[in-house]
Amino acid sequence: MIFITGPLYSGKRAFAQKLLDSTPEALAEKAVWDVQELARDCSDLEALADELSRREVVIATETGGGVVPADPAERAGREAAGRLSCLLAERAETVVRVFCGLPAVLKGSLP
Amino acid sequence: MTVLVIGGAASGKSEFAESLLLKSPVRPRIYLATMEPFGAEARARIQKHRAMRAAKGFQTLERYTDLAGAVVPEGSAVLLECLGNLCANERYSPQGAGAENAENVILNGICRLAAQSRELVVVSNEVGSGGSAYEGDTLDYIRLLASIHCRLAAWADAVCEVSCGLPFYHKGRERL
Repeated sequence: MIFITGPLYSGKRAFAQKLLDSTPEALAEKAVWDVQELARDCSDLEALADELSRREVVIATETGGGVVPADPAERAGREAAGRLSCLLAERAETVVRVFCGLPAVLKGSLP
Repeated sequence: MTVLVIGGAASGKSEFAESLLLKSPVRPRIYLATMEPFGAEARARIQKHRAMRAAKGFQTLERYTDLAGAVVPEGSAVLLECLGNLCANERYSPQGAGAENAENVILNGICRLAAQSRELVVVSNEVGSGGSAYEGDTLDYIRLLASIHCRLAAWADAVCEVSCGLPFYHKGRERL
């Protein structure tokens, strides 16, 4: 599994498309994105990470920057999202951070 | 040569961007400021920074919108600061290009600057790492700025992310 992360709107999905040589429509068959949203209401992040890791590409948006939210639910959601990203990075053969559309390999190597 | 320098608030991005032009022999040095001075405090701050930059040989030009209309000396070294302000001005100010056109107007302005100058350093603010729990307008602003970043990064000669005053090169390290 290749795990792709990076800031909001940084070009993560466009990069995944290029990597998989896929059209926007076909991307959903091989990749899953916005997985940070799944973390919020998840009771077992490890199991979620295991399940997501069966996909070829998993994409999560970085959410841990900026001010810690005052709202407890948002704070917990952000915390869970960050943890999920760490778990996914552990399971991934390759981890890429896309910044301004430019990929930086944090772990492994690109095929 | 065009360099994009990007970082969070108080990351040291401005000093780093300045240092790129201070080590270059290219003259004159032009500082293109995009922040509109709202209120006496901002004006005083701007005055102070202007004097500091003058000591380093920078001439300050102010341009809040319509970057393409800015005229800089042929072959100069230009520091444009900052894209985050310019983006907000074009998007929200009455003189701005508006939501539809802001992106192309800004990118076109940067291309024009790059063509006039010999060295262009563009400073911007990374605002996309704090999640997406924002009101619509803020999210639109982040999307606009991020899209400009991606398009500019694609053709810039170098892109560096500054953190704690230190650069991480996403592209073009060998060019600097």
